[in-house]
Amino acid sequence: MSADQEKLIAELVEKGLAGDMEPINAIEDRVLRSKAKAALAKAKRAAKVAAASAPAEEKPAEEPPSDNPNQKFGKMIEDKFPGSLDADLNDTHIQLKPDNWFDIATWLKSEPALHFDSLQCQTGMDLGENILEARYNLHSMTHDHMIEIRIAVTRDKPNIPSIEQIWRIGDWFERETYDMFGFHFDGHRDHRRMLLPEDWEGYPLRKDYEVQETYHGIIVPKVKQGWE
Amino acid sequence: MGVIHGEEMVLNIGPQHPSTHGVLRLRVKTDGEIISEITPVIGYLHRCFEKHCENVTYDQVIPYTDRCDYLAAMANNFGYVVAVEELMELKVPEKVEYIRVIMAELQRIASHLLALGVYGLDIGAFTPFLFMLRDRERILDIFELTCGARLLYNYMWVGGVSHDLPKGFVETTFQFLDYFEPQIDEYNKLLTHNKIFVERTADIGVLPADVAISYGVSGPNLRASGVKWDLRRNAPYSIYDKFEFDVPVGDGAKGTLGDCWDRYYVRMLEVKESVKILRQALAQIPKEGDVHQALPKKIRPPKGSIYSRTETPRGDLGFYIESDGSPIPSRVKMRSPAFTALSVLGEIAEGWMMSDVISILGSLDIVLGEIDR
Repeated sequence: MSADQEKLIAELVEKGLAGDMEPINAIEDRVLRSKAKAALAKAKRAAKVAAASAPAEEKPAEEPPSDNPNQKFGKMIEDKFPGSLDADLNDTHIQLKPDNWFDIATWLKSEPALHFDSLQCQTGMDLGENILEARYNLHSMTHDHMIEIRIAVTRDKPNIPSIEQIWRIGDWFERETYDMFGFHFDGHRDHRRMLLPEDWEGYPLRKDYEVQETYHGIIVPKVKQGWE
Repeated sequence: MGVIHGEEMVLNIGPQHPSTHGVLRLRVKTDGEIISEITPVIGYLHRCFEKHCENVTYDQVIPYTDRCDYLAAMANNFGYVVAVEELMELKVPEKVEYIRVIMAELQRIASHLLALGVYGLDIGAFTPFLFMLRDRERILDIFELTCGARLLYNYMWVGGVSHDLPKGFVETTFQFLDYFEPQIDEYNKLLTHNKIFVERTADIGVLPADVAISYGVSGPNLRASGVKWDLRRNAPYSIYDKFEFDVPVGDGAKGTLGDCWDRYYVRMLEVKESVKILRQALAQIPKEGDVHQALPKKIRPPKGSIYSRTETPRGDLGFYIESDGSPIPSRVKMRSPAFTALSVLGEIAEGWMMSDVISILGSLDIVLGEIDR
């Protein structure tokens, strides 16, 4: 790379960091453009790392209240139900303990300031190391805000209170999550498999799932790895 | 004279039955002709979509999304690529955004035409079905002109689309719209205000707004209950904020708010709105631009997760994607609008006659491919 190009890229990166992508996208030469973009990505990453490490060092005593819904509502949950948070508040989700999830969920729906009347999505996640995590994406039609709740449990005791009677769609969502991951939703009135047959073995979306060899005498095809 | 005792009978509808729109089984408890309980049994079309996604790269997932909702494959492509792009913070060129909106709206018309036509067929009106399929065919021709496929397109890619618009696309589509708009009045004459059709659908299967929200019902089914909620308007993605269009809602014109007729008619009105969006998009689309310009060489989203929603013809399609930083998604969850719409059937079909159940089921416009995934 010539010195001219380096200088040009440095200028472009500066502009890109300020949010102006036009000059980079306008470059005709593909090689130069990709180089500039790579440099920009690197600079952004560095900035992110710096931003992430900076507050940890200072840890200011009085942070301004965040506008992020997960921060804001997470704090409200902590105030109302002390000790229910399982991890520190962050921008992407609220980590809860399973114990009083039903009470929290009831409150989330009935509290007028929150009014989460719609359960958008409910799913599970196999995090490995014996941990399963249920995730709930809640949305309020009236206030138009969204949060994500995560509840981690162990495989030996995958019990989470069911919220099927609060949001009725939870009925089918929880059945599917049970079907695929083997959670147990306490208090669910119709705790059956959803998509798979009732006598299927195992929980397919767990990462270590092994397909059963036969089902009622029918040979089950194995999952192929990659392109075979 | 004694009292006549009714005996409850358990009846199976499906899994192979023309009015179940796929392979759906309904376990129905009937007291004479009256339904006392109805339980949908699903999973006959389960193809392990989510497990497949954990074994292929991000772009290889796109053809699978086609096969989930095979009547609105473009809309599913759209939902998925929007989610991945949001996760990667990728910005696509303006021309690509326009092409995507045009395709998504054409697909909405095609999907709604099939829904409306088949709904008439469910109730016993054969002719409107033929009229609507005839016009849907023209839209499929336009898709074929664009990308070669008529039903399953794999057209939208992460960062772009597979083919640029062909020569004469804008003119062809304008011609189609000019032809198509007067047809809507014809459908209305044939089916919408037909006395028999209204008798079979008005006041039947009323879905109140709060029940609909609690069951996660979305899209036209929710709007028919009077809730003005459309992601294209309330949480605009892509470039939907650039267009002017109305969000039609049900008003109980023929009976009660949220009945089968409202659900039917909201779709008919939405077709008109899609035509409006198409006319604006076709007039504004940039002439120049490379649709492959923003295609990333490697699709490796940063570590993290995203829940992204788009408005398909059937409602809010959500993709929950979890990335571990590798080229293969660690988890893809599809929140399917037809799944939530079917879940409400047990609630609203109780107490109606057997023949009304077919009418209610048809009005929800479900696609089993998307429910079972």
